[in-house]
Amino acid sequence: MRVSPMFLTGFSLVLVWGLIALAAPLLATHDPYAIDFEAILQAPGPAHWFGTDNVGRDTYSRVVFGARLALYIGLLGVIAPMLIGMTIGLLAGYFGGWVDTLAMRLLDITVPFPFFVLVLAIVAVLGPGIENYFIALALVGWVGYARLARAEAVVLRQAEFVLAARTMGFSHGYILLRHVLPNALSPIVVYMMTDVTLVILFGAALGFLGMGVSPPAAEWGVMIAEGQSYIATAWWISFFPGLAMVALGVGFALIGDGLARMLRIER
Amino acid sequence: MSALLRVQGLSVRFGSTVAVDDVSFELERGAALGIVGESGSGKSVTCRALLRLLPRSARIDGRAAFEGRDLLALPEPELNRIRGKRIAMIFQTPASHLDPLMRIGDQVAETLRKHTEMRGRALREEVLRLLDVVRIPDPDRWARAYPHQLSGGMKQRAMIAGALACQPDLLLADEPTTALDATVQKSVLELLAQLRRERNLSMIFVSHDLGAVAQVCDDLLVMRRARLVESGPVRRVVAAPRHAYTAQLIASHPDRLEAAPPAALSGAPPLVEAKGVQVRYGSRTLADLIAGREGGFIAVEEADFSVSPGESLGIVGESGSGKSTLARALVGLVRPRKGTLVFDGAPADPAGPGRIALLREMQLVYQHPYEALSPRLTVHAAIAEPLRRHRLCPRGAVDERVRELMAQVDLAPELAARLPGQLSGGQCQRVAIARALAFDPRVLIADEVTSALDVTLQAQVLGLLSRLQRERGLTMIFISHDLSLIRRLCNSVIVMRRGRIVEAGATAAVFDAPREDYTRELIAAMPHLEGSAA
Repeated sequence: MRVSPMFLTGFSLVLVWGLIALAAPLLATHDPYAIDFEAILQAPGPAHWFGTDNVGRDTYSRVVFGARLALYIGLLGVIAPMLIGMTIGLLAGYFGGWVDTLAMRLLDITVPFPFFVLVLAIVAVLGPGIENYFIALALVGWVGYARLARAEAVVLRQAEFVLAARTMGFSHGYILLRHVLPNALSPIVVYMMTDVTLVILFGAALGFLGMGVSPPAAEWGVMIAEGQSYIATAWWISFFPGLAMVALGVGFALIGDGLARMLRIER
Repeated sequence: MSALLRVQGLSVRFGSTVAVDDVSFELERGAALGIVGESGSGKSVTCRALLRLLPRSARIDGRAAFEGRDLLALPEPELNRIRGKRIAMIFQTPASHLDPLMRIGDQVAETLRKHTEMRGRALREEVLRLLDVVRIPDPDRWARAYPHQLSGGMKQRAMIAGALACQPDLLLADEPTTALDATVQKSVLELLAQLRRERNLSMIFVSHDLGAVAQVCDDLLVMRRARLVESGPVRRVVAAPRHAYTAQLIASHPDRLEAAPPAALSGAPPLVEAKGVQVRYGSRTLADLIAGREGGFIAVEEADFSVSPGESLGIVGESGSGKSTLARALVGLVRPRKGTLVFDGAPADPAGPGRIALLREMQLVYQHPYEALSPRLTVHAAIAEPLRRHRLCPRGAVDERVRELMAQVDLAPELAARLPGQLSGGQCQRVAIARALAFDPRVLIADEVTSALDVTLQAQVLGLLSRLQRERGLTMIFISHDLSLIRRLCNSVIVMRRGRIVEAGATAAVFDAPREDYTRELIAAMPHLEGSAA
């Protein structure tokens, strides 16, 4: 398999962010939570590379530490929905009949509500916090994966190599794992990569609304929210975390597109 | 008289791959030229290059003078005035070349609208006339139909009607009958031959089927690996091929294959037997229950047949006749609604609990070589899979057994690490056969195993199957729409139509003295090498 340059670019970007997150204490020039009323709203300069916010916290150090939270939220947030959705989708598509009907009705219940509104509602009921955000994501986010997995499985169920496997007397479980799953995986993985971006953005948006990570935390969404009222005078408070978010998002999106190319089977 | 089309030194390159290498030919007005060759030989690319219908990455060199004007050098707008109006083209899969959201009449009218001043009533009448020319019955009704409402043959006729709309001088036909059933293919070939006579239409007919080309064309080009290897009048080429490849191509035609049916009907008690088997798809809904209907739709209405050990049974029929469904019922992919299957004297239920024991005795090989193998499993893994899953041999002996099976189907050992995408169609089919043989079955069912292969590969795979049958005393069930294959391989044959067996008996009897009209029709539709050119 040839490694696509797109994947390589994306992977390097995400890798850089991963290293930044790991080495945050070394890279940060200040304590991200240290309030310094001597240095309020300072513009980017040699002392504070990305400037300071309204209570004098160093924006650069906060962006660096924010990478930890962003990656944590993004990567952990997609795993549960992916596993749940893929399982439901594959089973529904492969077996059809009442299994399919049941899964699709379950999907119908979830789909009519806009994704974010539903996540918001669930988090509002459960109370703010990352863990509750993860629970909400698992409850709502599986639909996308389920749809993709089902569409693939419906096609694969009729593929001659799956029929051949059944003619050889292999069990359904084995066929699903060995013949259906590997061939259904590529669109799911690609979707997962774009979903990471989405989960980070929504996480940030929840932070912005005060329902995600609680305010003092160095989280990019929270930082953007805090900088909002100073946007005319101190643009850097919101700008740098925003830029970081874009860079990480582009990285994951490139990984997704690159993977899509690499996983395509040459016939 | 000067030639209508004169092609000189045509070459097409995709990057570093040469698709067509220095091809030259001439076409007189009113003549028909056939281009044959296996897939990937460059025959379709040659045809498309003439109208510059190739992706941008293609580099085309040479000259193609159409009435003196070089098609390869004309500016795009001028070429557009020739495309469709002077040179029309029809394709292999009419289904994908007709717009599904457009009525047939409108599709035919499209070319007329583009190239003529005809509008309104005159346009409509011309469309109806054209549909009549291509022998579509009741044109008034079918002009209002959408493509999905038409059968494959009708779609191909509609596409020909569209191509003929502007009375072109030259018709390029790219595998126009490959996707069609035998009887439909025959009628389309007849139509093309007739159009040639009536309209003095010149034609380039691209096909891998020498028999089909022989029916329509007077001259023949044989291509192989991007090069022209032989050209000349059809009769001469068929009778006395000059190039070794042409000779091989002709020898591979089912007409010329050596008949290799195993010993005549033995009269031994049948190994596989079906009694009154009926298969329905779909389930019985509440409405069906109330109305007292069975529900679903019938794929096989009623089938009775039997095969004795060591014999081969052919099942023929057009697409939709239920022949593949019958095969699937035999290996338990669908459960018959009625009737019983008997294996070796005992009632068998391949869809039930004894399934695996039965499948060890009876295996099925599928039609599409590439699709029948999981794209992510190597050859070795694919053949080892049934051995490991069903413990068909001791764990330590798996590798040895895989090598043995590969040798039996003439696969080179170094192919073991390849993925299906890196194999040819014939090689994939061999892997599929090797997998089936891993069970050491007594019965092998071959469902259209050769219909997706080129004739030369087809001959090889059939040779392999005959050899395996002789060596292992296999009982075979061949399912095919190709009667000439069945005739050469089977001792007995059943003919299916619309889910029913219309005729059954010993092969020689059925072919020499068919009792049913439908069987006669099928036999008459077999394309022969010595077909009369129009």
